[in-house]
Amino acid sequence: MRPFDPRLLRYASAARWFLSVGALLGLAQTVIVIAFSWLLSQSITLAVTGASQTDLASTTAALAGVVVVRAALVWLLEVAATRGAAQVKSQLRRQVLERVSERGPDWLSIRASAGVSTLVTQGLDALDNYFARYLPQLLLAGISTPLLILVMLWQDLPSGITVIVVLPFIPVFMVLIGQATQSVQRRQWESLQRLSTGFLDLVGGLGTLKIYGRDRRQFARVRTITEDYRARTMKVLRVSFLSGFVLELVASLSVALVAVSIGLRLVDGSLALGVGLFVLLLAPEAFLPVRQVGAQFHAAADGLAAAEEVFAILDETETETETETETETETATGAAPAEPRAASTPAAAPAGRGHADAGALRFEHVSIRRGTDAPVHDFSAVFRPGELTVVVGPSGAGKSTLVAALQGFIPFDGRILLNGVEQTPGTPRPWLAWAGQRPGLFQGTIADNLALGDASVDRGTVTRSLECAGADDLDPATMLGVAGEGLSGGQAQRVAAARALYRAETHDCAVVVLDEPSSALDEAAEGTLVAGLHRLATRGRIVIVVSHRPALRDAADQIVALSEVAHV
Amino acid sequence: MSDPRVNASSDPTADPTADTTADPAEVRAVLRLAQPPVRRFAPGLAAGVLSALFAVALLASSAWLITRAAEQPPIMFLSMAVVGVRAFALGRSAFRYLERLAGHDAAFRQLADLRLGVFARILPLAPAGLGGTSRGDLLSRLVRDVDDLQDFPLRVVQPLATAGILATLSVFGVWLVLPAAGLTLALSLLAGGLLAALASTVLSARSERRLAPLRGTLAGEVLEVVENLDVLTAFGALDARLAGLATADDRLRRAALRRSLGVGVQGAVLSLFAGLATVGALWVGIPALSGPVGISGPGFAVVVLVPMAVFEVFGMIPLALGVWRQVRSSAARVASAVPTVVPVEIPVEPAEAGISVTSALSARPVLELTNVGARWPGSRALAVSGVTLRLAPGDRVHLAGPSGAGKTTLAQTLVRFLDYTGSYRLDGVEARTLAPAEVRGRVGLCEQRPWLFDDSIRQNLLFARETATDGDLLAVLDRVGLGEWAAQRGGLDARVGERGALVSGGQAQRIALARALLADFPVLIVDEPTANVDEAQGERLVRDILVTARQDGRAVLLISHTPVPDDLITARVVVPGPVIRPADPAS
Repeated sequence: MRPFDPRLLRYASAARWFLSVGALLGLAQTVIVIAFSWLLSQSITLAVTGASQTDLASTTAALAGVVVVRAALVWLLEVAATRGAAQVKSQLRRQVLERVSERGPDWLSIRASAGVSTLVTQGLDALDNYFARYLPQLLLAGISTPLLILVMLWQDLPSGITVIVVLPFIPVFMVLIGQATQSVQRRQWESLQRLSTGFLDLVGGLGTLKIYGRDRRQFARVRTITEDYRARTMKVLRVSFLSGFVLELVASLSVALVAVSIGLRLVDGSLALGVGLFVLLLAPEAFLPVRQVGAQFHAAADGLAAAEEVFAILDETETETETETETETETATGAAPAEPRAASTPAAAPAGRGHADAGALRFEHVSIRRGTDAPVHDFSAVFRPGELTVVVGPSGAGKSTLVAALQGFIPFDGRILLNGVEQTPGTPRPWLAWAGQRPGLFQGTIADNLALGDASVDRGTVTRSLECAGADDLDPATMLGVAGEGLSGGQAQRVAAARALYRAETHDCAVVVLDEPSSALDEAAEGTLVAGLHRLATRGRIVIVVSHRPALRDAADQIVALSEVAHV
Repeated sequence: MSDPRVNASSDPTADPTADTTADPAEVRAVLRLAQPPVRRFAPGLAAGVLSALFAVALLASSAWLITRAAEQPPIMFLSMAVVGVRAFALGRSAFRYLERLAGHDAAFRQLADLRLGVFARILPLAPAGLGGTSRGDLLSRLVRDVDDLQDFPLRVVQPLATAGILATLSVFGVWLVLPAAGLTLALSLLAGGLLAALASTVLSARSERRLAPLRGTLAGEVLEVVENLDVLTAFGALDARLAGLATADDRLRRAALRRSLGVGVQGAVLSLFAGLATVGALWVGIPALSGPVGISGPGFAVVVLVPMAVFEVFGMIPLALGVWRQVRSSAARVASAVPTVVPVEIPVEPAEAGISVTSALSARPVLELTNVGARWPGSRALAVSGVTLRLAPGDRVHLAGPSGAGKTTLAQTLVRFLDYTGSYRLDGVEARTLAPAEVRGRVGLCEQRPWLFDDSIRQNLLFARETATDGDLLAVLDRVGLGEWAAQRGGLDARVGERGALVSGGQAQRIALARALLADFPVLIVDEPTANVDEAQGERLVRDILVTARQDGRAVLLISHTPVPDDLITARVVVPGPVIRPADPAS
């Protein structure tokens, strides 16, 4: 790992601001250190040679002034570092989320959602240390150390030369630190992420474990996970601390060398006490930032590792194929293409029925490939306004994949046309109202959830939509927790269906798609929903429902059947 | 009011005072979990103190050496100082290395105890007692907060103890050379330390208290956006949502900026007093050089320069105080998220409650409910009430009722995740008098939203019956209609993904069913098995459950809002819903 990743400057303008402000403050701090050391060594020399308090009054006052300025600079540098960290984290976080939203749900689905959200919250917070403790020292090492060495060379050549001889050891050890910690640090970050999901996995599944009487046995597992974490981390730390140790040793020993050499030259009278003390005070200051860089490196590396993962997301090229192969390595499917399938029923008739198709939604030879798998192959169908179409087929027949293609979330071969206009992947679908298999509700009132994406809530439509989805027993003003917590599975599903109906009405959507809307509904609620969907259809909308429930099938104007995936 | 959990689930992160209301004794109990025992902690501390002392001694001996050398004594008078300078330089780095190694190792070893301690507190609460904690918050609370507690020994106790011991020893040392200089050093250290602590309390503690909940809010927002990206995109709500997220981000950033001012002031205060201590030593030292008490030139240089080295070690204090506040609010949040006092709505294991278990159950107990009701923690209303039914070996009862009527609550009650009102008897023995684990040994549950662990299919089945062979596992997968699917995915070693991300809802349900069949519970509660399973397979599944139950004489309570063929069941019970709705035609 490099001590500084230039991509930080590219992606976070706040980092550029911090580097310039920090450089100025670092320069001022160096000047103050020199002034303080010179005034102090002069005062001690004069006092030892017999000066009184009155003789030294002005020097002491100047020293006190320098002390005050130094304190102010310490304060400013720390404020700048913390501000920089906060701004940079926020900038990176927003860019990742923007990029994630650009790339869409399909791209995200191959990444563990907890991984991405951990990265942009907990992961990026590790940058605090990088900015507060590491970067300022890196700046000082670049500004302060050379300046102080120049002053030492000018004041006492042998001491300056000693420092210059010792100094090259430091880049050597910096490289050593870098190489030794690079791989192990990255492993630690990954194990942190694994542990973050692992411990949550255990706590989340505790109910299940209790049912099987396995809850108490998880103590051993917690211990194993944590011991593994300790062992891994200590392995890293032994290496990175060792480099830090050598670094500190070099710094301390060079101070000792300078002190002893000055002492010996003072004895034979070839050096003045004032110069000797001045150089003695400067020597540790010259090494201080370098020592700090070494000491804080492992703390900073966590932040840098998280930042690099962020950069990897931001750098990623637009090619879809790469990501797809990644997912498919998990499933180990055969390479042979799937059999042609899908589409019996009237709708599968050849395209081109003239004016009868006005406003229709048409799938023409749509094939969807997921790596080596082809969940949808050569699917053609026509969905007409005013009709309720039910899509049926066994699990894994590609029903939801087809819906995702309609939504524009995944690329496909063939064409999808609405009223003769081709709908390409990745473009908005203002004409589509949709409810997925997962309710996907949010914190807020039920009414707010229904009006998702709208600035205002239309009370009347909210009531009608809830009624239509068989959810009129729910109070629209009910507050839901994070991720819609507080509703039962069936209730959440009805609210999600109502949300799609609300959008269909308020946005006058031509197409309404519900994916398994009634799987958790009782028959009465389902009857209400079917009636509501019929009303929607008769008002000239295209209504498509993915379902296997007989009540819906019976109510359908058209049934599109997807066949079993042909596995070889 | 269809589900009382709506009331109980108000977002805990929304309350900024949430972490200050935790009982101080509970917070201390959590912190004690994080602090390693003395025998593990002492080596690191000793090494730290020695390293700090050697750093001060290096500067002191160098100053003495140079000032004494300037008096041009015979060189043999300097040899001790020369040796000292070199030894202190070496020892300082060596002890520093040892300190860091020993300190980290102790803290990491303690992390296992810490996680286990927290886990032990979660255990009696799960799953019903954790309902108010959303997933995003769980993530940030129980992982980040627990991990942050590790900083308590490492970045709070250790540096504060080191700084305190070093300050005391240094003041004493300087006092021996020149009492007046010892006094100025002591005063500077005290004043600097107190002012720095005061600055931190006044300036930054308040915004820091706000920081943790803001982080929690942001984490919740991020999780909602990331997990529901498809919904937000489909509804054109993504931009508005990202804007809302940006607001949460802004609030967090502003709080972080306020905190920066406080931390900076502490560092500045200490830097100021370090300088003042030096100037003060200089000022009181000058008259002593020629005064009646008298100190030598080298002694003077030592007392003037030592304060710098002491304050360099003292510089750890602002950082440690900052970490202390973070650690304390993490501990408070852990304490309030997992209270030691289990809510009355949740049954406790007799080992924890001191109840003696009276009877052993038969292998196939009769389950009887009379007017059973249950409520969720923190809610006054019953989520389900008035349930009366009897389930004898071989009985297969369909429990119907509208959505929201509390069917799932009843399922949770029967496996004793929730306590009940009315009477729930197994073999005539009131379930309340039995250990919940013993009840669960007889009464199993197939949950509506089955939890799959981020592991292989094998590991997701095996914990239901650890002695099962691969043949048993494949057979049970066949029975729930997953045999072919498992084979396609590469057998039992195929992974199911984080929270079952790589399997569909129906497949997850089937894996959960396979687990329940493996465990072979004499009484099995099946909560909505056909949700997210297509109709043909769902019917087959229900038939499989009920037919095998008939063959095995297993009692099954099938909770389902969809109709179940009459020939497969022995009875049908309808849960009275809290809301008046048209009667279920199936009844």
